[in-house]
Formats: sequence, C-alpha cells, structure tokens
Amino acid sequence: MTEKSAWRLPPVWVLLVAVVLIVCAEVGGASMSRFKIELTRWARGTMLTHPAVHGLVGVRDVDERILDEALVKFDAGLRLFHMHAEGMGLVIIATTTVAATLVRTAPARPLIISLLTVGGSCYPLGYLLWAGLIPYVGLERGKAIAEWLVWIPFGGATIVALWWLAGVVALGLVRR
Amino acid sequence: MMALGETGGAAMSQLRPSIDRYATGRVNANPEAHGITGSAEYDDEVRSRAVYSVEAGLSFFHTHAEGLGLILFFTSTLVASVVAGRRVRAALYVVLTAGSLFPLGYLVYGASVLELGREAGIELAERWVLMPLGSAALAGLTALAVCLAARARAASRPSPP
Repeated sequence: MTEKSAWRLPPVWVLLVAVVLIVCAEVGGASMSRFKIELTRWARGTMLTHPAVHGLVGVRDVDERILDEALVKFDAGLRLFHMHAEGMGLVIIATTTVAATLVRTAPARPLIISLLTVGGSCYPLGYLLWAGLIPYVGLERGKAIAEWLVWIPFGGATIVALWWLAGVVALGLVRR
Repeated sequence: MMALGETGGAAMSQLRPSIDRYATGRVNANPEAHGITGSAEYDDEVRSRAVYSVEAGLSFFHTHAEGLGLILFFTSTLVASVVAGRRVRAALYVVLTAGSLFPLGYLVYGASVLELGREAGIELAERWVLMPLGSAALAGLTALAVCLAARARAASRPSPP
C-alpha cells in the first residue's frame, strides 16, 4: 500500500480516549447487570429521601407508580450510557482517522480531531449524569441539567465536526 | 451518513414535540389512508400508533446511520487492504456504499407512514428501500467474506519448493 492510499493514524491521545471510553462502556454494561439490584435499591432509597422532588404523596398506589417510572428512566439512562459510549468510541476512531488522512490544512485538522474526540467522549457521560441526577432532582430537571451541561455542548461539537469533515471530504472529491 | 445519524438523533431529542405535532397534523390531513372513522377514542388510538411509528422510524434511522457509517468505514478499508482485483474491489465499494444508504429507508418509513397510512407506508419503505439496500449490504458483506476466505485459503497453501 502506498503512503498516499494508506490511512494515517490520529494522535495517540485520541485513540487512548476512544479505547478508555469503550472500556468504560463495557464496565458500565457489566456493572449494570451485576449490580442491578443494588443500583435499583440505591436509586429507590434516594428517591424516598427526596419525596417533594418526585411528587410522592405518601399513598402507596400513587407513589409506587411514580417510583417505577423514575426507576425505568434511571435504568434507561445507564443503558443509553453503555450503548452510546460503545458507539462513540468507535465513531471517534473512524472519524478521526478520516480527518487525520483527508484534512490537509493544519488549523482545521487538529480542530476537527479535537472536536470529534472531546465531543464524542463526553457526550455519553450525559446519560450517566442524567441517571445519577434522577433520584436527587427528578426526571425533567435531571434531563434539563444533562442537556445543557453535556448533551447540547458536546453533542453539538460532534455534529459540527462531522459536518465540517463531511464538507472537507466532499470538497476534496469535487476538486479531484 | 454518520453526520446525518448524529443530526437525526439531536433533532429527535430537541424537536420531539414539533415532530409529534407535525405527524398528528399529517394523519389528520390523510384521514382515508389512516382509516380515521370519526370515533374519538378509536381515532386517538390510530393517531398515536402512527406517531409512534414515525418516532420509531427516526430512532432506527439514528442508530442504523451511526452503525452503517462505521460498517462502511471498516469494510471498505478491508476491501482496500485485502481484495486484489480492481474490478472486484470497485464492485464491492459500490455494493457496500449502496448498503450503507439502508438507514435512509427508515426516513422513508416515517414519511410514508404519515402519507399512506401505517400498513401501506411500512410496506412501501420495506419493499422499495429497506429490502434492496439491506440486500446490497448483505451481498457486499458476503462477497467480502468470500474474498477473505479465498485469501486465507491461498495463504494456508504450502508454497512450492
């Protein structure tokens, strides 16, 4: 394979971040399964210590329904972290490899690679944050915090970088 | 495809109320296609099923676009590294790239459910988009597997003295 046709590796720190993210996803998935009961017990216990946040009224029939819904979302947050961390680890490796190979201009290449890496690796943490916040601040407030602190800035960075990369690759094809 | 998948996921999350409103509006605009009867309870059920199908279509688009973008990246790299014949390589690129467009079928799925009704919309998306593009992906992957097997077999043959 010639130098021109070979993939160029992104910086090692990028690959390290991607691999660590995939490891975190694996550990998260395994922990979710192994400590399911403990996690559910912790979330339920914490929610019971914050009754006003969850709208608990002290009537068992009503409260159980509210707690069940919150626990389903808590579990969903953990599962979405597991899935997104696995996926984004691979997305970081693939897209930064494309950027390292096909983006020729010096300021654009490191910027795209940094946006893809930081955006892609931090975005899944939003699901972990959301799951962790649910017992303390409730479903909607937890979601809003995760959205503004993590999903919008880091997801936005990934989207901007991906479209930028797509534009650069398309431009390269047109100029060929 | 990955950029589309990411953007689709973000739109799904941020624009959910608008998407639901639009979907409900389209169902109301196509009452015959959806079998709207005028009975409030039944019609609400029909509307919520159609809206659910649209949301499912968008969700599948998001996950499949991310996944197939990666599959195309890794499989085309394998093709470039392993397949020796230029024509075979070109054919594999075409088939795998067509296969990577498979997630667009879920956008068609969402749109056609609204315009044609749930059953007819799903059938249209499956028959004309999901099945042909999915088959292209399967054919490309199978052909690549055959090429890899042929190469492994050739490598395991003892070299002549």
